[in-house]
Amino acid sequence: MIPVYKKLAINELANTIRADLEIEGNRVGLVTSIDGNQLITLMLNTRSGNTVLYQAELASDSYTSLTTTIPQLHWHERAIHDLFGLIPLGHPRLKPAIINESCETIFAPLRETAKPISDKLLATRDFEYLHISGEPIFELPVGPVHAGIIEPGHFMLSCLGEDVLNLEVRLGYLHRGIEKRITEIPWRKARFVAEAAASDTACANALAHALAIESLLAVEPSFRSQGLRTLALEIERLAMHIGDIAGMAYDLGYLVIAANFSRLRGTALRLAELLSGSRFLRGYICPGGVVHDPDRLLSEIQRTTKNLRENLKPALDFFISNPAVYERLRNTGKLSSSLASEFGMVGVVARACNIAYDCRQSFAQGSYPKNHPTIALQQEGDALARTLVRIAEINSSLDLIDTILSDLPSGTIGSNLPVDLPANAIGIGIVEAFRGELIHLVITDKAGSIKRYAIKDPSFNNWTGLAIAMRNNVIADFPICNKSFALSYSGHDL
Amino acid sequence: MNFTEILCFIVLFLVLPILISGFIRNLKARLQNRIGSPLLQPLYNLYKLLQKSETISQDASPLFRIVPALNFSIMLILAVLVPWLPFHFSLPGSEIFLVLYLFAAMRFFSIIAALDTGSPFSAFGASREATLSALTEPAIILSLVALGIAYRTSDLNEIFSFSQSHGLMQVSIWLLSGAGLFLASLVELSRMPIDDPTTHLELTMVHEAMVIENSGPNLALIELAYNLRLVVYYGLSAQCFMHALAVLFTIDHATYVLLSILAIFILAFLTAAIESFAVKLAWRNNPEFIAYALTMSLLASLAAIFQSAFASLSLGNLGAFL
Repeated sequence: MIPVYKKLAINELANTIRADLEIEGNRVGLVTSIDGNQLITLMLNTRSGNTVLYQAELASDSYTSLTTTIPQLHWHERAIHDLFGLIPLGHPRLKPAIINESCETIFAPLRETAKPISDKLLATRDFEYLHISGEPIFELPVGPVHAGIIEPGHFMLSCLGEDVLNLEVRLGYLHRGIEKRITEIPWRKARFVAEAAASDTACANALAHALAIESLLAVEPSFRSQGLRTLALEIERLAMHIGDIAGMAYDLGYLVIAANFSRLRGTALRLAELLSGSRFLRGYICPGGVVHDPDRLLSEIQRTTKNLRENLKPALDFFISNPAVYERLRNTGKLSSSLASEFGMVGVVARACNIAYDCRQSFAQGSYPKNHPTIALQQEGDALARTLVRIAEINSSLDLIDTILSDLPSGTIGSNLPVDLPANAIGIGIVEAFRGELIHLVITDKAGSIKRYAIKDPSFNNWTGLAIAMRNNVIADFPICNKSFALSYSGHDL
Repeated sequence: MNFTEILCFIVLFLVLPILISGFIRNLKARLQNRIGSPLLQPLYNLYKLLQKSETISQDASPLFRIVPALNFSIMLILAVLVPWLPFHFSLPGSEIFLVLYLFAAMRFFSIIAALDTGSPFSAFGASREATLSALTEPAIILSLVALGIAYRTSDLNEIFSFSQSHGLMQVSIWLLSGAGLFLASLVELSRMPIDDPTTHLELTMVHEAMVIENSGPNLALIELAYNLRLVVYYGLSAQCFMHALAVLFTIDHATYVLLSILAIFILAFLTAAIESFAVKLAWRNNPEFIAYALTMSLLASLAAIFQSAFASLSLGNLGAFL
């Protein structure tokens, strides 16, 4: 879709965003810059599906921090600081979010090359943990290399006995310069880089990229390819949610169930393989449609789905009917609804806090919202609520896959695309990935090449939620808390 | 104690620790539809660890290096003193309290060694181990003391030897003590539902966190001592159950020995089943599980006190007592 574009003065920006947030259904999608000379803010209306892009020019390298009045922007401003070398004055906890200070030279990679980097940036590069002092305080650093095969991230747990007083999340170990790279390569190749933003979310990233490019080109993919895309997205959601439940069972020490769900995740990945030829749906969705029509394999997909559903039901029942699971997960990692909305939580985490936000319903795309399942909501905001939301979504995804398979329109799967992108245009793609709201924003320059490509992974919002939810839990509950959020490191670091 | 018995003891002493650990691991894998590692995998692991060089924290004192060997030696002594197999050396020193304090000494040294490295993880493990052992110790003491009261001796070998006559009342004491010991040993050995020995999650572990700084031959000694401790605890609970069985049925000695070994395997099977199907308890709920062990041992003690009170009150002096 193409956002409504509005220019603002920088001093009006904070007030405008605040006024917008007062209106029901509005939320901040993304705050970033194009080349360090301006701030752009994408506002989404989850009721009408409208989007507005505010652009405010900057006169210097610093601006008054928006975080002081709109707390959910604190992480965005840290990222802008890393990527563009812009300093938010008055930011309460300014430190690197994406680019680690282990990089020897200071570089603001997305900043306009001709612009020198200010000296003030030098002073703010050190990562300083929130220090909690007092004799009985015990500081426990965990990571970035972990004992399991997971992505790197560093956690500083400040504990009083077994209780966690503060969790500080430090990321950026996986920064690969995805956003920068996309602007350097031909736009037709960009989809391969875009889907590598987070490899477990390959399909959703490819889809968001395709939607952004298609909105620039004003191309509408065929009905059949839209159905296949929705199918791919739901298969990804299904497989990853099953994998997350398996991980949760493993962390609970419920090994038999964990082994079962791991096996069933494999079946779900087989669905992906049948559909696209790749178990992680890589390279399947392209701007204009999809690359491959499974055609005769559709009946096989239908059969495998039926089989998966039959095998999943007893495993899910066994898992969720165990009172010990309830006992263990209830009130663990609780996030209040008010904090969740204040800090802009998305996806499973938001829905577990009774925030009815699901991009599949808010933003029309593919077979949505026509075939959109009811939003899975839970009230409590604890690890149990998040697990129950995942289980509800596993079931609704299975239903949705069946619906789409029984009613897949015929026709072509791709469409011819123009050779060049339009000049000075803005396109966005918003997709409900399995973790939540995923935004790709593409801005072209006057020559029609990509000038700025921004990706906002759902984890970008939700890492703050983990830090808040961990407070006052026992330290032994951290793995369960972390698993119930199931956040991406690579999607955040880009 | 004849030559065959000594030979049997030595063979079982050498084989069982490795075999039982391998058995539990393999069974857990089987329950998850995996093929699992071979039964002798713990032995291969020991061999591998012995080949490796050691990495020692710069903050560690010599104590850190001594403790694994020290604990292993204590464990060797305990394995001879404690009647965990149905053969009994007539050695002096198998006193209940000596045994209990030797176990406590091992725990003390492992905690000290864990704190010695200055690693926050092992310190967390040590603090948890201290908490858990403070909670479980009463259960183990009471289980053994109940038997002591029932047989009016504090010598474990005497309690567990065959010369004792058995009344029906003893069945309940043996069963309750055995159950109390087994439940307490699950906690002592850091197994589910208190601690998950298979997890990689350093934040939730107890035993594994405590020894996280150990490596190479040092770790091999710790593992070996752990495996030995496992069979000694399981063997002791198995002996309790076997005695209850021996009261009810007459069993000849050879069958008794075979059944004793089988009983250890059954307890190992139970452990594997618990570890596959149970959900690990939240840290704050651990005392609830330990309370089961404590209840069993308390009941055993009460039964023992009750029984000995009645034994002294024969019908003749009952009238005098009244």
